Amino acid sequence: MSDRLSLARGLRRTTLPLLCGGAVVALLALLADPLLAQGYTPRDYGDFPLIGSRAAVWIAAQLHLFFAAFVLGVPMFAVVAELIGMLNKEERFDKLAKEFTRLLLVSYSATAIWGAVLVFVLITLYPRVWGYLAEVFAPSMWVYVGVFFLESFTLYLYYYGWDHLKKGRAKWGHLALGVLLNIWGTIVMVIANSWVTYMMSPPAEVTPDTAPDMVRFWSAFANATWMPINIHRFIANVVFGGAIVGAYAAFRFLNSETEEERAHYDWMGYIGNFVAISALIVLPFAGYYLGREIYEFNQQMGTTMMGGFMSWLWVVQAFLIGVLFLAGNYYLWVGMGRIPGAERFQPYTKYMLVVLVLGVMVWATPRNMIASRDELTAMGGQFHPFLGVLGVMSAKNTAVNLMILTTFLSFLLYGRANKRPTVSWAQRGTTIQAALFVIAAAIVLFYGVYGYFVPAIVRIGFSVYQVLAVLTAICGVMTLNVLMMQGAESRGDIRWGQMPDRAQYALLILAVTFTWLMGLMGFARSGIRQHWHVYEVMRDTSVDAATPALGYASLVISACVLMFLGMVSFIFWVGGLAEKPVISGVGSVPSPELATGD
Amino acid sequence: MTNLKVLGVVFGTLAVYTWVANSIPQLESVVPEELSFSADVTESELVAAGQELFRGGGGCLVCHGLPTRAPNLLTDHEGQGTIGQRCATRVPGEDCKTYIYESLTSPMAYVLEGFDPMVFQARVFSGAQIWALVAFLQDQGGTVTVTGADVAVAAEADAAAPAFGGPLTASMEPLEIMRANLCLGCHVLDGEGVATGPPFDGMGDRIDADRIRRSILDPAAEAAEGYEELLGQMPPTVVDLLTARQLEVLVQFLAGQGS
Repeated sequence: MSDRLSLARGLRRTTLPLLCGGAVVALLALLADPLLAQGYTPRDYGDFPLIGSRAAVWIAAQLHLFFAAFVLGVPMFAVVAELIGMLNKEERFDKLAKEFTRLLLVSYSATAIWGAVLVFVLITLYPRVWGYLAEVFAPSMWVYVGVFFLESFTLYLYYYGWDHLKKGRAKWGHLALGVLLNIWGTIVMVIANSWVTYMMSPPAEVTPDTAPDMVRFWSAFANATWMPINIHRFIANVVFGGAIVGAYAAFRFLNSETEEERAHYDWMGYIGNFVAISALIVLPFAGYYLGREIYEFNQQMGTTMMGGFMSWLWVVQAFLIGVLFLAGNYYLWVGMGRIPGAERFQPYTKYMLVVLVLGVMVWATPRNMIASRDELTAMGGQFHPFLGVLGVMSAKNTAVNLMILTTFLSFLLYGRANKRPTVSWAQRGTTIQAALFVIAAAIVLFYGVYGYFVPAIVRIGFSVYQVLAVLTAICGVMTLNVLMMQGAESRGDIRWGQMPDRAQYALLILAVTFTWLMGLMGFARSGIRQHWHVYEVMRDTSVDAATPALGYASLVISACVLMFLGMVSFIFWVGGLAEKPVISGVGSVPSPELATGD
Repeated sequence: MTNLKVLGVVFGTLAVYTWVANSIPQLESVVPEELSFSADVTESELVAAGQELFRGGGGCLVCHGLPTRAPNLLTDHEGQGTIGQRCATRVPGEDCKTYIYESLTSPMAYVLEGFDPMVFQARVFSGAQIWALVAFLQDQGGTVTVTGADVAVAAEADAAAPAFGGPLTASMEPLEIMRANLCLGCHVLDGEGVATGPPFDGMGDRIDADRIRRSILDPAAEAAEGYEELLGQMPPTVVDLLTARQLEVLVQFLAGQGS
């Protein structure tokens, strides 16, 4: 009976996204040839009541992206959790993975619905742009729909086959389904990314006079910013998935009625935060790569982004990233209160806090701002006499690399808090680890300072050395840690559930901040095209051609975040109705293996 | 109560971010208007158009916003004042308007000591846009002397000029081709030019003619040894400004540089 109910639920979930996709295809077919055959010329733009066309397409695209990021990030999270459960033979990871995969089912519907809304909005409000893109990218749109079907059906197999493919080789087959689900999802993402990035960075041979059917498909598809965006979004989706999982766990923790529940959701929150912050650590590198490619594609676009009308946006971004680093570290530091043996590390947290705060301050220092003559006079020049020195990329790269090292150190201390290594070379290993940190920090500082004394073109290359130093240190320290913690003694079990409520609010703030930051960066990416639908190829001639100021953008972003969080909460609630999460086996267990690499 | 707190945290966080974003200067990116000046254009119209170009489409801030790459034009430079104040004193006997105009249209003419030559693609701008830039720069502490007559003459010249993409010189003399196309702005030959990219001296010893040809046709395809970090910096449009014969003249000339 329960199988049949489950099947019926599944069919309902299956049907909705398919219906949406089918409706889009049907509408496209209806709009096609007959009217054109009568000499009908489609209008360039439509009108949307009250909020206008720009806000309408903005909201539709942003909400679709939020859900898309969620349904791409969570499967990565689920597969990794399932694999850890299999390798360590810990069922709680398997249950965690299943719990989130269940939520994915409803989220897929929401993603498809918002995708359909976006397409309808584009067709009705921006028919010329839609027609142009459809002509350039038609083959990839067909493939997109096909892969979306594959992705959906793989998800259903992955979720509904969970209990059937539970043992022996079948379990590995089930894991393979999860991997396949991620592969389909990634393909869907990179296809859609090509459309978006083409609008930003069309190939050089495409001009305003180039007919869309003359644009070479692969040249348009693999345009200059396609791969940097793919990488950036891939990592950002992991961050986002982890953050939403953390927020879900925090909410459940705050509403828990039993110690067992609190322990379960405390553990889940830790895992979510771990995934989010781990991926966040490498995200700035991907962002820097993207920025560099934008500059290489078009210096003017790069200048618009960093020194033009968007220059203040990066101050706001720095503020948000500062919140992320501080909240993520704060959560870990508070969490150390429930780990026996962590007391010995707590004196260091104040120094780490100083590094993080100074890093945020440097990162938030503006440099190349648009200023009026009065402001220039008041400042005594184009740049602030003191702060201007900290606004250059040398200082900012140095700051962010040190913040990343500090956050990694927080994780390391957290993971080692209740461990006592037993290998004979433990002392030497710890000394080498400390040396790796010091050497990496010294290299970062050296190139940061040296950057002031060399031409800009040389200075740009220094960031690579800084990044390599930090990544080398992280890899080296992690490798040593894994070896050193083999057979380590426990100083006591983590007291899951004995976490102050304020740490849960930190997780909620992390999720809201990640979501808002995604909206802000979406505005930056799209806004640097300014008054072009396709940069320097198709001009925006609508009444909304001007790119709005950040104040207006922030209102739209906040509205989108609220709508998204509201809908996700509904999905979580619905998911809870369908099947109660399994709470078990987390009450008194060692630190998750993820943290120690043990 | 817990749910209310959660809502409070969510709304509070969003409110703070929205407030911060609304507290900073609100800059909107307006759509630039096409420049179609007539002879009766006013000074303020020229200055406004020049400012928009300088801060936006002209890409001037790419270098002039970074004092290490080019002198700042809007602020003091070595005690000589802003560009409007110092332009008339740069070259004896040359007034401010002529100096700035020449600097824009012949970037190799006046290279300030300690800086590289300006890589400004004047040819992609109309005459009216160049004069608008001159007017804006003069306005930075000086007196605007650009007139509608200057613009009218430039407009006539634009109308008679070949479309963008044609060769910049008809010469078949390698050095003239190089100078006209600003090649020596980044490469050195016999002590002339700037050593940013690989030197032309001895080029034939390092790479063959085919490689040189490929490097001009598609500069971003392959990095020169020791100059990997500059990959993508050479303008890919150089080849559009050469005739086929000029390209071959350059290739053979460079392949012949060396022992």
